[in-house]
Amino acid sequence: MRPILLSGHERALTQVKYSPDGDIIFSVSKDHVVCAWFSHNGERLGTYHGHQGALWTVDVDPTSTLLATGGADNTMRLWKVETGELLMTWDFPTAVKRVEFSPDGRQLLGVTEKRSGHLGTIVVFDINPDPAAKQSKEHSLRIVCEDSKATVAGFSYLARYIIAGHEDGSVSQFDAKTGELLFNTQAHEEDMQVTDLQWSQDRTYFITASKDKTAKILAADSLEVLKTYTADTPLNSAAITPVKDYVILGGGQAAMDVTTTSARQGKFEARFYHKIFQEEIGRVRGHFGPLNYVAVHPAGTGYCSGGEDGYVRVHHFDKPYFDFMYEVEREYAQAQAQANL
Amino acid sequence: MSRVAGRTDWAEEEDEDSLQLPQQTITKNKDGTETIVTYSIREDGKKVKTTRRIKKTTIKTIVNPRVAERKHWAKFGLEKGKPAGPQTDTTSVAENILFRPMAGWKATTEDKSEEAKKKNSLKDAKIKCRICSGDHWTTKCPFKDTMAPEGVDSAADMKDDVPETGALGGGGSSYVPPHLRGRGGAGEKMGGKFERDDLATLRVTNVSEFAEEQELRELFGRFGHVTRVFLAKDRETNRAKGFAFVSFADRSDAAKACEKMDGYGLHHLILRVEFAKKAN
Repeated sequence: MRPILLSGHERALTQVKYSPDGDIIFSVSKDHVVCAWFSHNGERLGTYHGHQGALWTVDVDPTSTLLATGGADNTMRLWKVETGELLMTWDFPTAVKRVEFSPDGRQLLGVTEKRSGHLGTIVVFDINPDPAAKQSKEHSLRIVCEDSKATVAGFSYLARYIIAGHEDGSVSQFDAKTGELLFNTQAHEEDMQVTDLQWSQDRTYFITASKDKTAKILAADSLEVLKTYTADTPLNSAAITPVKDYVILGGGQAAMDVTTTSARQGKFEARFYHKIFQEEIGRVRGHFGPLNYVAVHPAGTGYCSGGEDGYVRVHHFDKPYFDFMYEVEREYAQAQAQANL
Repeated sequence: MSRVAGRTDWAEEEDEDSLQLPQQTITKNKDGTETIVTYSIREDGKKVKTTRRIKKTTIKTIVNPRVAERKHWAKFGLEKGKPAGPQTDTTSVAENILFRPMAGWKATTEDKSEEAKKKNSLKDAKIKCRICSGDHWTTKCPFKDTMAPEGVDSAADMKDDVPETGALGGGGSSYVPPHLRGRGGAGEKMGGKFERDDLATLRVTNVSEFAEEQELRELFGRFGHVTRVFLAKDRETNRAKGFAFVSFADRSDAAKACEKMDGYGLHHLILRVEFAKKAN
């Protein structure tokens, strides 16, 4: 496996995302610029200029025509993927920490920071998928998080729920139509921030990563914890791989402590766990700083990670990754093959 | 000076010659490859001929039309106007990473691979044991107490006459500290309880390279209690090197085994068994 190193950013990466077809990677970092890359060879397609502050988040719509970003300049912006043209800017009183499109691409949610008298909110906008159309200025839904601010959020299957992870380690479920809080569960340890929330392909379950050194898979309907993956370092990101039943966790020592530790102790590795058996099966190293985000190719053929070191590393999985099976899995596969004969 | 007009200086002449580079030639080979020969001048002024043999293969893949369309999008932003293909300032290829998922993975396996790396780096250093020709240091040899180093047999024979020369590492000329002199040089034997019975060790040669230690143990175990079997193996191929040492608890068992097993056919080879040479 020969990773491709993307060094277009000058500061720490905050999020990386694959387009739904997996051909383009979008990366945002604290250096105000959004980059688009071809995933197969690491060629940079272009950059999107306009943000005035560090960028926290990026997401692309299901047709790869619109790109949404949010940053510390208190704006959420909409871009045309093809040309880098800025289509729309929404202003907020505080920074935007997370944006995500709904599965149909007609809604866009943004999570805003809690600061200077403003409570953390989750806002939803209706989006017209046509890049030439005018986007609505007003939000269609606004959820105020009174208890603990939301750090991450996303739409479940059919955009039925909005699931949010909070600063206090809890995960809550909102009705995506009314914004009503349906359920809240303390999935992670008290006061251990939920740092990432990524969906399975069908969006019926999701994985959360937390500073409490664990990642958990929860069901979107019941918020029941289905699986727990325990690591030895605070986690910044977690992703579910399609095709093979693995999860990838990324994390490492907090960025502020990094200079005092060596790369070996820092645990700056992508950790692979078996999704079903919850057991660690391997690690991929390479970053010189904590991994801030890991994203998986939608076809399951590779993954990329963005690190505090300012690099994006794109990995294309090779044969051993696809061949690996637990003994029980292998037996099952054999039994299946025989039954088919 | 019978020179052609215009060429007045020999240095000039040379310059002109080096400027006339032959054209690039492309020849199609029978096996479908192309040979491209190009000429160029290196920085130090020397002419270089580069011959490249290229095989062109067309790989057809079916891609999503949307993806194919996006591949032809014009670059924008900082990349505007740049040619197709990855730019070296933003994109590079990192070193290869070996990633093999495995059940029961632990952080320690990572450390082991580090160790293996260290070993690999040492591999180039060509370590060769002077006792058994194995790939370890002579001091680490499992037979350092029982065997004489290769090629110093004569020195070993002489040790009764000149005990001072008996050396720790086996080299006849190495320095022996005064407190160890007169002990036959076997400083490392001072532990006493780890002293091995050199008398009951057999050297087995002409062993098949597919032989296993366990196999030898079973084979020799018939004659008595085998305390130790060492089969020299090649580090890279992990195949036997063709010789082994078998130690018995009892010398009479060893003698019996030596007699019976000498000439025994193991795999496709005939074993040669003899008593190991005694260490000095």
